[in-house]
Amino acid sequence: MLFNLIEQLLNALVLAGLLFLVSAGLSLVFGILRVVNFAHGVFYMLGAYLGYTTVAVSGWFWPALLVVPPIVGLVGALLEASTLRFIYRRPPIYQLLLTFGFALILEESVRVLYGNTAKGIEPPQLLQGAVALGSIVYPRYRLFLVVLGLVVGGVVWLLLQKTRAGLVIRAVAQNSEMADCLGADVARVRTLVFGAACALAGLGGVAAAPMTTAYLGMGIGVIVDAFVVVVIGGLGSIGGSMVGSLIVGAAQTWGAFYLPETAMVIMYAVMGAILVFRPWGLFGEEE
Amino acid sequence: MRRREFLTMAAVGGAVAGVGGPVFLRRAYAQTPIKIGMPAALSGSNAQYGIQARRAGELFAKDIKAKGILGRPVEFIYEDTGGDPATAVRKAQKLVEKDGVKFLTGVALSSEALAVSAKCPEWKVVFMSTINGAGSLTTKSFHRYFFRVNTSGPMGARAVSLYLAESPMKRFFGLGSDYAWGRDSVGSFSEQITAAKKEVVGKDYPPVGTKDFASYIAKIRQSKAEGVYLVLAGQDATIFPPAGPPVRLDARGEADHGDPGAGEHEGRGRRHAGGDRQLALSLHRRHAEEPRLRRPLSRDARHLPGHVRRRDVRRASEWLAQVIQKAGTADDVEKVIDAWEDSSYEGLEGPFFMRKCDHQAVQPGFMVEAVKDPKYPHLIPKILATYPGDKVTPKCRTEEFS
Repeated sequence: MLFNLIEQLLNALVLAGLLFLVSAGLSLVFGILRVVNFAHGVFYMLGAYLGYTTVAVSGWFWPALLVVPPIVGLVGALLEASTLRFIYRRPPIYQLLLTFGFALILEESVRVLYGNTAKGIEPPQLLQGAVALGSIVYPRYRLFLVVLGLVVGGVVWLLLQKTRAGLVIRAVAQNSEMADCLGADVARVRTLVFGAACALAGLGGVAAAPMTTAYLGMGIGVIVDAFVVVVIGGLGSIGGSMVGSLIVGAAQTWGAFYLPETAMVIMYAVMGAILVFRPWGLFGEEE
Repeated sequence: MRRREFLTMAAVGGAVAGVGGPVFLRRAYAQTPIKIGMPAALSGSNAQYGIQARRAGELFAKDIKAKGILGRPVEFIYEDTGGDPATAVRKAQKLVEKDGVKFLTGVALSSEALAVSAKCPEWKVVFMSTINGAGSLTTKSFHRYFFRVNTSGPMGARAVSLYLAESPMKRFFGLGSDYAWGRDSVGSFSEQITAAKKEVVGKDYPPVGTKDFASYIAKIRQSKAEGVYLVLAGQDATIFPPAGPPVRLDARGEADHGDPGAGEHEGRGRRHAGGDRQLALSLHRRHAEEPRLRRPLSRDARHLPGHVRRRDVRRASEWLAQVIQKAGTADDVEKVIDAWEDSSYEGLEGPFFMRKCDHQAVQPGFMVEAVKDPKYPHLIPKILATYPGDKVTPKCRTEEFS
């Protein structure tokens, strides 16, 4: 019984780690740009496919983990600088339609380039197989995902809370006009944040690919969960994304284990309750 | 023009039209293609099935181009359903009403097939199932316009059960996708394996599109099952461990026997040839210790070659061509149906017989193991056991076996 609980906790942490990589970026983008980025899930998918290409070309997994996020981030930054930047002042529907259109274009481009079939990536040799944790035998790669999620979460938090760049980002998120008056380059901050958020999603995609393979539609699947995470955690809150990811990860894994018939409902029931009793999310700020 | 000249011209014109017209019309009719509609999942998580079906259609149309059917060319018209039942109905309706097809095939998912098939009596078109396994298609949802050339889920379950009845394994877990085909197949397997004095220690139905099967794996392991009957399609089958990084499926928790992925690779190796997705995973250490089964399979070699799907579509197309020849028409659907009922077809796997009572093709059942062969870049099926058609086909309009 106890071992089951621990194993399911580990499984929840794996899922939460991957969800955090996607939802943190989504939340950041909304917090700073006030844009609901529908294309965010596609950047996750792009990361997985570029990871596949990098592994195929280099024969190694680690370079993919290092090279792909900046590339995906660059694509995101270009999107922001070339299109989104010009419609910030328009009604939100414009941004929504633009990002949705971009998601469709990117997904179809991936289909043309890679075809319809799923692409698998082997985890690195070091992370293949399983380790014994007392009576639990657990795959190394999944443990790596738990660690990756925690490390990235910690780095993002430190960056936002303890550095000057983080201070500027928080200032822009809080009041972009005032930050502009105080000398912050708001346009550049927005571009960098959008790029960084896409890079995080790309990292999530590369990390997930050995577990789930890279496949068309993986972006749509993850963005739905990420929206739930952001609603639960609160828009614009990194801490909220972390807690929201844990709640959704736990609901999905424990739900599938203990209440399989209602596993899908649990996550949405939690979201529904949050929307009713605390619409701004657990860590969001009431506007 | 004078009246006499006009009458002469009209008479000559009439004579020419009278003699040459039918020849011209016959020639024009002979050029009218026999249209076969394929509302297939060409995108989405089940795209591999639709793409294979389309390739089979393209190849068949090319092969038959020279002689045609009744001298008429064959044209396949493809529509992408994305694996969605509502879209499948919409696309099928377009194929029937706009393109004028009389035959539909290549529908990938049972959920789509159930939706499209229900409309066929109204449209008066033949639905040829080449992939769909839901037992209900030939039982409670059966109608005269539906024909199933492939094996149904219960038929696959039957072959696996017959094979496992002889195995030393006693305890099984059933894991099937949460829709008609998965539930039908696991249900049928449970009944049959229980009748063989074995035990089903657990069942579960993960939703289509499950991203992480770790919780299900944990349940399987906890159940102390020695084998898993697995019914997953498309992307789910791809990402289910053994596909992912190793999650120990070994029910005994043998931490010391080396490769923790051995059981799962072994499991991938056991498939029923009736469908490329019904796997009987052995979790027994005895199997896991066989060296050949401990060899990791490359990620790209995880599926049986696509010809399993292509073969089913090819067979349906060839059988249809044979039936149309016999009926002497492709336009009178009722005559084609009459000709197809109780007809036979000699396939690569053995004889096929389309029984009239439920339009299910009676055919041999196989238990195969997917093995590596240096001659091929992918796994190939190695037959472990063959069962005659009457042993693996249920009684008419039921899911019961004699």
